[in-house]
Amino acid sequence: MAVPLNAAKANSRKLRTKRSSVSLKPIMSNRYLYLMLLPTVLYFLIFEYKPMYGAIIAFKDFNPFAGVAGSPWVGFKNFEKFFESYYFFRLLKNTFLMSFYSLLFIFPASLAFALLLNELRLKKLKSFLQTVSYLPHFISLIVICGMIIDFTKPGGIINSLLLGIGIISEPIQFLILPEWFRTIYVGSGMWQSLGWNSIIYLAALSGINPSLYEAAVVDGAGRWKQLTHITLPGILPTVLILLILNVGTLLNVGWDKIILLYNPGTYVTADVISTFVYRRGVMEADYSFSAAVGLFNSAINFALLVLANRISRKTTENSLW
Amino acid sequence: MNVAKRKLALLLPVMTLLAALVSACGGSNNNAGSTAEPSASPGAQSSTSAPVEGSRSAGGLQVPIVADKLELSLWSPSGGNFRGTNFNEKLSFQQMEENTNIHINFQHSTEASAEAFSLLMSSGKLPDIIYNDLWGTDSGKYGAQGALLPLEDLIDQYAPNFKKILDSHPDIRGQITSPEGHIYYLPNLVLDSQDLTQMFPQVRSDWVEKLGLTMPQTTEDWYNMLKAFREQDPNGNGKKDEIPLVTVNLENIMMLFAPAFGVEYGFFVDNGEVKYGPNDPRFKDVVAYLNRLYKEQLLDPNYLVDTTFQTLTEKVTTDVAGAWFGWSGSYMGNFTTLMEGKHDTFKIAAAIPPKGPNGDQRHVSFRWQAAAHGLAVSSKTAHPEEVMKWLDYQYSEEGILLNNFGVEGKSYDLVNGEPVYKDEVTHPTNGLTNTQELLNHTIGGGSWATVADTRYAEQIRKANGQTENPLEIYKDYIDFDAKLPPVQFTAEENEIVVPLMADIQTYVAETINAQIMGRQSFDDYDKVMKQLEQMGIGEVLKQYQAAYERFKGK
Repeated sequence: MAVPLNAAKANSRKLRTKRSSVSLKPIMSNRYLYLMLLPTVLYFLIFEYKPMYGAIIAFKDFNPFAGVAGSPWVGFKNFEKFFESYYFFRLLKNTFLMSFYSLLFIFPASLAFALLLNELRLKKLKSFLQTVSYLPHFISLIVICGMIIDFTKPGGIINSLLLGIGIISEPIQFLILPEWFRTIYVGSGMWQSLGWNSIIYLAALSGINPSLYEAAVVDGAGRWKQLTHITLPGILPTVLILLILNVGTLLNVGWDKIILLYNPGTYVTADVISTFVYRRGVMEADYSFSAAVGLFNSAINFALLVLANRISRKTTENSLW
Repeated sequence: MNVAKRKLALLLPVMTLLAALVSACGGSNNNAGSTAEPSASPGAQSSTSAPVEGSRSAGGLQVPIVADKLELSLWSPSGGNFRGTNFNEKLSFQQMEENTNIHINFQHSTEASAEAFSLLMSSGKLPDIIYNDLWGTDSGKYGAQGALLPLEDLIDQYAPNFKKILDSHPDIRGQITSPEGHIYYLPNLVLDSQDLTQMFPQVRSDWVEKLGLTMPQTTEDWYNMLKAFREQDPNGNGKKDEIPLVTVNLENIMMLFAPAFGVEYGFFVDNGEVKYGPNDPRFKDVVAYLNRLYKEQLLDPNYLVDTTFQTLTEKVTTDVAGAWFGWSGSYMGNFTTLMEGKHDTFKIAAAIPPKGPNGDQRHVSFRWQAAAHGLAVSSKTAHPEEVMKWLDYQYSEEGILLNNFGVEGKSYDLVNGEPVYKDEVTHPTNGLTNTQELLNHTIGGGSWATVADTRYAEQIRKANGQTENPLEIYKDYIDFDAKLPPVQFTAEENEIVVPLMADIQTYVAETINAQIMGRQSFDDYDKVMKQLEQMGIGEVLKQYQAAYERFKGK
């Protein structure tokens, strides 16, 4: 045991003495670790960073046959077109509200679900609940939306249930009424992701030292005190990091789900930036315009991320960077 | 893990989120350097035009087209009624390959979706030949971008069959020529406009008989009939489960009723002037009428959600739907064959267009021989000459017969010189509908860049048990002049129309649906028109008028 430790110390000492010339030795000695990193680095370079070059078409009048370099520059024209759009503020509002509600309801719900699962003493029931709650995560979105449409039909399960217990007297046309769209979107989102999102909290929970609980019990702490004084502080860093990351994607709503569920009757509340871009950019082949809108969306997300990170660092000393 | 590494590990996903957002626009720069586009002037091409040994003439076109087998690629949606996965499974294309010695690598998207097409065009990687059902309006745009090859010279040189058709039907040239004067696609042709298939209203005539009604003549008759369907339990199951009027979209409902009020849902022509339906004061009456239907649950209350043909088929075949608006074959024919032997009385009949309160009784439809759908040639092709010849083969007598009827002896026989489908095609016993079975043999009439043969439509109609031709009933009411022709915009006009219409279409779809459903009042329809003015409908109409006049001038 002691030998490799000493060797490492000797190694680092050697390094320090040879600071002038860059040594490949540490890299060589860890070459298999670096090799394992390589695919990831390549993945990001090729599939994530290289495509970012394409973002410049937001400032161009892009023609796929002239290429990115060959298309003429148009400055901020595409951005102006978007800001001047008749529906700009509605799109912004819908996008923000849809994401905000998702964050507001799904984020704490996943946490609460994980905490409740953690308190369960019956091992079998716990794993059953976990499995059931993970399931929707593995179903394709197309199928999920088909199920949502079926569930919310006038003769569907939700209407039957509400009629059965007497909350409503007439079936509700959920998918046609704009006032229901956000509820359906967020509600089904919770159903889809609750179990899956709770995994990371369960992992964090299992990392808490059990001796803390034992000590607390000895001190006479009940379940509630254990929760507030050990469990919650124990997973707080995880919660905050996830929260910051979620804020950073605040304006990214799942456009594919909205497109599968919305219709002209619900545009008022359902139409978001990305669905607008889909109708405009993909269907009308206005690529530069959609790139500009996408870039605008990213810029706001980035600003929100930085802001959330700063607030978190100032208040709790937990932050991404 | 040290602190720096952890920070990096957390930072990476953040960066990727950013990257993912903009990545949709990347990957299109691969052709920036490829300026060596294939020459459109045929003289520069290799001398493969020397007659191939053992060749014969198909209407002036020498076949086989090439001595050594050549492979060309073609992008096309495979269509909903085709049960196979690749068009080379069709006997007609196998025969065509034998005749022309050209093998087609079909690249299929499963749906005829504008999205799949748009993604193909934005990829910059194009096959030799591209199918689209909107070339009528799109070809000018993509042609100007340099994606498509102008075909005029190639047609003159290598397409004797197509040229013959152009020369004998001079109108067609104007219908497919872009504002800049180029032909970018070869269309589906219906040479006699009276033969054009139309969409028309279809009614459960056995219900009509059962309730002692007559087929509806006016919009009021329609209202009364639908009301009777709703209230008098024509399917006789004791439940009030009938949905009198079903549809896959609002457009079809509008095509049924709007002409009776003198307007259309979209753009139309009124005494030589292009107008936009929702921007016409008469449109208020259409909305009021549909609102009345919706309020009394005569129009499917779920029409905004059930938008697939599948849900409509389900409603028809479970005996709850009373009327709809659709095509002769894919609606009427499909339903009749699906219900064969499953229902004692199931019968559908075509209704004449309803007469409106002011006496308007018409069916607004197209009459242009050249359809908007067809095949275009990509500018990337390395074989423009062979591509042109293969396309021309589709218009030879041999090709027309292959595309419409399939292979002689396999799907049809010649009776007194006329092609007649075999019984196993018109009445298949393999569980397919005859439309589906037909598509195993041929490309089917009406969708390919060929000439649609009227003998095809007629035989299928009769096979579907429709002894009277619905188009005969319709002949007297078709208002060709009100239909806006497939006008093409110049790049400048496009620049004005596209962004304005993006907002206008959203506004109209939203407002009209809300008014039909009674969520918004249509009493002050002036407000809608004022709003449309504000959103620039006047500017859009100006461009449409210019494009229309250019079309007429041709």
